[in-house]
Amino acid sequence: MRFSQWFQSKRAETPFPLSQGLYRFPTIENSYHITVHLRVEAEQHASLILNGNTILQLNPTATWMTYLALYNVPASVAAQKLSILFSTSRATIERDYRQLSHTIHSILGRGHLCFHDNPEVETLFPFQYHPSAPYRMDLALTYQCNNQCFHCYNDPNRTVSPLSIEQWKAVIDRIWELGIPHIVFTGGEPTLVEGLTLLIEYAKQKGLITGLNTNGRRLSDIGYAQSLHDAGLDHIQITLESANPTVHDRIVQKNGAWKQTITGIQNALKTQCFVMTNTTLLRENFDTLPQTLNYLAELGVPTIGLNALIYSGKGCSVAQPLTETELFPLLKFAQDFVEQSGQKLIWYTPTHYCNFDPMSLNLGVKGCTAALFNLCIEPNGEVLPCQSYYQSLGNFLIDDWESIWHHPLAEALRTRQYISEQCGDCLLLSQCGGGCPLAPTQINWQTFFRMEA
Amino acid sequence: MLKKCPLLILLIGLLLFTINLPGLAQTYRFSIPKEIVHAYWNEDGSLSLQYEIWFANSPSADPIDFVDIGIPTRYYDLNAVQAYVNGIPITSIEKSPYVTNGVALGLGTNAIRPGETGVVTVFIPNIQQVLYVDSSDASYVSAVFSPTWFGSEYVSGLTNLTVVFHLPKGVLPEEPRWHQSPSSFPSEPQTGLDSEGRIFYSWNNPQASASTQYKFGASFPKHYVPETAIVAQSINLDAVMEILFTLICAAIPLLFVILIIYSIVKAQRRKLEYLPPKIAIEGNGIKRGLTAVEAAILLEQPLDKVLTMILFSVLKKGAARVTNKNPLEIVRETEAEIEKLRPYELKFLEAFEISDKKKRQEALQQMIIELVKSVQNKMRGFSRKETVAYYREIVKRAWQQVEDAATPEVKSEKFDQALEWTMLDKDYDDRTRRVFESGPVYVPTWWHRYDPLFPSRPVSIPSTSSPSAPQTPTYTSAPRLPGADFAASIVNGVQNLSGSVIGNLSDFTSKITNKTNPPPAPSTSRSYRSSSGGCACACACACAGCACACAGGGR
Repeated sequence: MRFSQWFQSKRAETPFPLSQGLYRFPTIENSYHITVHLRVEAEQHASLILNGNTILQLNPTATWMTYLALYNVPASVAAQKLSILFSTSRATIERDYRQLSHTIHSILGRGHLCFHDNPEVETLFPFQYHPSAPYRMDLALTYQCNNQCFHCYNDPNRTVSPLSIEQWKAVIDRIWELGIPHIVFTGGEPTLVEGLTLLIEYAKQKGLITGLNTNGRRLSDIGYAQSLHDAGLDHIQITLESANPTVHDRIVQKNGAWKQTITGIQNALKTQCFVMTNTTLLRENFDTLPQTLNYLAELGVPTIGLNALIYSGKGCSVAQPLTETELFPLLKFAQDFVEQSGQKLIWYTPTHYCNFDPMSLNLGVKGCTAALFNLCIEPNGEVLPCQSYYQSLGNFLIDDWESIWHHPLAEALRTRQYISEQCGDCLLLSQCGGGCPLAPTQINWQTFFRMEA
Repeated sequence: MLKKCPLLILLIGLLLFTINLPGLAQTYRFSIPKEIVHAYWNEDGSLSLQYEIWFANSPSADPIDFVDIGIPTRYYDLNAVQAYVNGIPITSIEKSPYVTNGVALGLGTNAIRPGETGVVTVFIPNIQQVLYVDSSDASYVSAVFSPTWFGSEYVSGLTNLTVVFHLPKGVLPEEPRWHQSPSSFPSEPQTGLDSEGRIFYSWNNPQASASTQYKFGASFPKHYVPETAIVAQSINLDAVMEILFTLICAAIPLLFVILIIYSIVKAQRRKLEYLPPKIAIEGNGIKRGLTAVEAAILLEQPLDKVLTMILFSVLKKGAARVTNKNPLEIVRETEAEIEKLRPYELKFLEAFEISDKKKRQEALQQMIIELVKSVQNKMRGFSRKETVAYYREIVKRAWQQVEDAATPEVKSEKFDQALEWTMLDKDYDDRTRRVFESGPVYVPTWWHRYDPLFPSRPVSIPSTSSPSAPQTPTYTSAPRLPGADFAASIVNGVQNLSGSVIGNLSDFTSKITNKTNPPPAPSTSRSYRSSSGGCACACACACAGCACACAGGGR
C-alpha cells in the first residue's frame, strides 16, 4: 500500500457505527467545486448532500461505504474494514464497494447526478422521506429593507427585536449541531445588517454552505460585494423584477433602485460567488419577461430564477395577480429561451398541477418544502415553516428542537394536511402537494391552525 | 489444596463457559418447549453430543439469527460439527464469540422469525478430555455433563428436557452407576439398551428450565476407555463441590456483572446482516410518453436503427417517400401535414434535402444531437432504470401482440401499428424474419412510399382491436408480399441507411457522443468560487431531492 493510500485509510478509521450528525468532507476541486456533507441519521441511514441541494439517501451499508469512498479508501482496505462488521464474504463487500465508490465519484466528477449514467441510483417518490431536520435554514436577519416592493411577502407591520451578532452565531452553532448544512441570509434586506460579513465568515468556518438573498443594491459597492465573497459566501440571489428600469423601480417602489441592482449583479458576477437572479412574475412585469431574459443573458447571469406571487404580507393585497393557468406560456417561453441561451432556469413556486404542471416543462417537481427541507428563523429567533409563513414553531435559541420540528403545524405541513378535498384522487397530487399552503384556496385552513396554536 | 486448584479452575470454567449467551444488542426473547440431548460416551474416551432444540420465538422479538452451543472442553474439531435448522444445513458454524468453548451457528436466511418456531439440530463428535477418575472408586471413570443453557433474559417458559447418556459399547448392565440426579429430575433415570446395544440412562423433566444448568453424571469401569483419555486423578468431588459452592456464592454478584459486560461488548461485535448498499434520490420514477424514437435513444440503440425508425415514422405519416432504396434517397410529400411531425422528423427530412453527402451526414448528426439532448432533458428528474424497464416491457408486449396474432391479416396490422416499438428489440432482425418468413404478409398502407417499385394502391385495413363481435377481415384485396421478402425489406432498411447515408457507423456515432457526452472537464483551479446552494445544476434541481423549492424567491 502506498503512503497516500495508507494515510487516507487512517483518516477513515473512525469506528463504525458513525456518530449521528453532520460530516463535512474536503471540497471537490474539479470544474464544479462541490461541497460534500454526509448527514448521518438514526440507525445509520444518511443523506449525502452535494452543494446543499442534491440530496441522496443512503442505507446503512451505503452510508459506511460512502464515508470510506469519500476518503478514497482503496477497495481492498474498505472491504477489510467492513467485513469485520458484516456476515458476508469480503469479496462481496469489495465488489459492492467498488460499484458504490464509482457511483459516488462519477456524481462528484460530473457535479450532479445523472440518471443516465447512474442507473443504479434508485428513485424515491417525492416528499415521502421526512428527515430529522431540514437541509436548509433561511436566516431572516432583519425585516428592514431599502426597497418597498408592493408584492413583498414580508408583513410591513411585523416588528420584532433582532438578535445580536453573537446570538446569530449561537444560532449558527445550533444549526450545525442539528446537521443542517446550508444557510441562506435573507430578510428584509440582509445587507443592511452590519455584521453580515462576520456571520458569513463564522458559518463558513463551521463548514456550512452560505447563500444570500438580496435586492443587490448594496452590492453596487464593489468593495462590499468582494468582502462578502472574501468572507466565504458561496452564492448570491439577486432580485430583479424587470430589465426595464421603469417597471422594476415601480414594482420595488424606489426610484433609482434598478440601476443599483444592475450594478450589484455586475459586481456579484465579478466575484467568484455563484450568482443567480430571481424575478416574480406579476401582471406588472410579465410582458417584459423576454426583455429581462435577454438582458440577463447579456449580463452573463448563469441561472435565472422565476416564481409567482406569494400570498403573504403585502402579497395578499396585490390586486390582480397572475393566475396559475397564466403561468404556462411564460414559463414555456423562459424554458425555450434558456435552452437556446445555455442558461439554467429554476422555477420555485408550488402550484396546483391541474392549473400549471411544472413537470410538463421539465422544471422538476415543485411542491411545498416548508418544514420539510427548509425552515426560516426570524430576526428575533422565532422559527417559521418558511420565510413567508408567519406562524412561529418556537424559538430556536430557547425551545427544544424536537418541539419545534414536531410542532403540529410543521407536522401538518409535512404530511400535507392542508390539501383541499377538491384534490381528491388526483394522480398528480403526490407531486403537486396541493400547491402553496398560503395560496388563497387554503386560506381557511391557515386560519384554522392559527386558532389551534 | 494446591493439587486441587487447577481442577477448581477447570470446573469454574466449565460452569462459566458452557452458558449460552445469545447476546447481541438485539431483543432476543424465546422459549424452548422441548430439548433432547444425547451424550454418547465413546470407547475411545471421547464424547459425542447431539442436540435437538425446539425454539419458539416471541412475536415481538428479533429473529433468532444465531445460536451458541456450549461444549465441555476445547478439544473438538470445529469442522466436524454439523448443524441444521428445520432440516436445512447450517453453513455458518464458527467458534462462538460468547462462549469460550462453544460454537456459534449462524442461521442466516433461515433465522427463526418472530412468532415462528424452528428446530435446531447439532451434532458435535469426539470431544476429548471429558472423563475423570471417579473419586470414590479409582477403577471407574466419571462422566459428568451439563447440557447447554441459555441466559434467563432471553429464554422463558418451561422446557421438556431429556438428557440421554449412551455408555461405551461393552459396558455390562451391572457395571455402571448413575450419579445423583439434578434436583428437579426423577432420582433415578430410565435405563435400557439403545439400538446399538449400549446401555443408556435417560433423565427427563417436562418442566425444566432452559436457563438452568443441570448436571448429569455416570461412572463406569475405566478399562472400557484408553488410559490416555482420562484427564486427571480422582478427586474428592464432594469436597471440591463444597469449596466450589462457597466460591460461587461469593462470586455470583461479580460474575453476574462480568457476564453482562462481556455480553454487551461481544454483542456489539456481532456481525450484522449484510444488506447491499443502496443510493436513492427523490424523483419521478417512470417517464412516460416518450416516442419510440426517443425510447430508442434512451435504450441506447444503434444510431442507424434510430434513423431507420425515423424514416419509417415519416413514411407512415405520409410526409415523405423513398425514391431510391440504395443509396437511400427520399423526397418530402408536399401535402404532408407538417404540424404532425416532431422536430427530429422535420430535421430528418431537411437533412435529406441536402444533396452533399457529407453535409447531409452533418445535418443528421446535428439532428441526433438535438434528439439526445431533448431526451436527456425529458428524463431530468425521472428514473432511467425504471423508465428503461418500462419501455422494454412495451417492446416485449408489442412483439407479443404481433406473435400472438391469430391470422396473417391481424399479424400484419399489429406489426404496422407497433413497427417502431418492435424495432427496439435487440433480436429485432431475426425475430422479424422468424415471424414473417412463412406465409404472405399484407403490407402496410404506406408500403408504396417505402418501396418505390411497389404499386401504390389504396388499401382498407379493418380495425380488429375492438372487443366487439369478431369481424371478417377484408384483406383479400390488400397487397401482399411473400413473408420472407417483407421481412428482408424491413430489416434491410437499417442496412441501407447505414451503408448509404451514415457511412462508418462508429465515426458517425462518435461525432455525436463527443457532443452529447463530452469527456469530463479537467481539474482546474476553477473560474468561479462555487456552484453551491444556488442550484446551479438544473439536472439535480429537476428532482424533488433538491431543497430549492421556494428558496427565498418571491420578492
